[in-house]
Amino acid sequence: MKYALLIHGDDSAWVDLPDEEKAALRAEEMPQWISLFEELSKADPGVSGYELDGRSTARVVQVRDGERIVTDGPFAETKEIVGGVFLVDLPDLDEAIRLAALIPTAKHGSIEIRPLQE
Amino acid sequence: MKFMALIYADESVWETFPDAERQAAYAQYRAFADEAGAAGMLAGGDELAPTRDATTVRVREGETLVTDGPYAEVKEALGGFFVLECGSLDEAVQLAAKIPGAEHGSVEVRPIYVDPAEVQP
Repeated sequence: MKYALLIHGDDSAWVDLPDEEKAALRAEEMPQWISLFEELSKADPGVSGYELDGRSTARVVQVRDGERIVTDGPFAETKEIVGGVFLVDLPDLDEAIRLAALIPTAKHGSIEIRPLQE
Repeated sequence: MKFMALIYADESVWETFPDAERQAAYAQYRAFADEAGAAGMLAGGDELAPTRDATTVRVREGETLVTDGPYAEVKEALGGFFVLECGSLDEAVQLAAKIPGAEHGSVEVRPIYVDPAEVQP
């Protein structure tokens, strides 16, 4: 079964940090991310992942009666937004839960597991 | 540049669609994917199972907490996404407007972050 592991987190504190502090935080969390990538690749060599830019880069597009409406900002008006996703083929939900719990941001955000439609 | 187009729509509407309407919607999505793919502007995409099949995982103080259901109960839920290959955010927004879900739901376009120093799976 293929799953999407959707990473929800509050990026508002993150986006305001100076670049040096971002780099330092990334470096600090990097060993956890690397061990996660190793676990994911072991579970599914074809795993893929995407990290999304912060909320200020988001645009929402709607088409109503043929007219395009574009608004700034993410669709969800919640503090936590989707910050990234892993797509991974796994034997079952238990394995998806085990790997989701290894995502470093599960410690302060939430990981939503959704099966992919065939 | 790669962009993610996140498609949000009201799941309850989809669930009430008769089969013929669903097939028509899938045909529209295929047409979008074919057109964007032929233009070299599509790098991936998937449809997610409905939120009733979601499981949410959090780790707090070393403990894994698992709950049934999506991260947030919302009227319009994330139902799928495309990965777009476009020259700019404006171009990605223009392309995203052609995604069938933009006609009744909302499509959120976000650049995909690329850090050359970062290890990617």
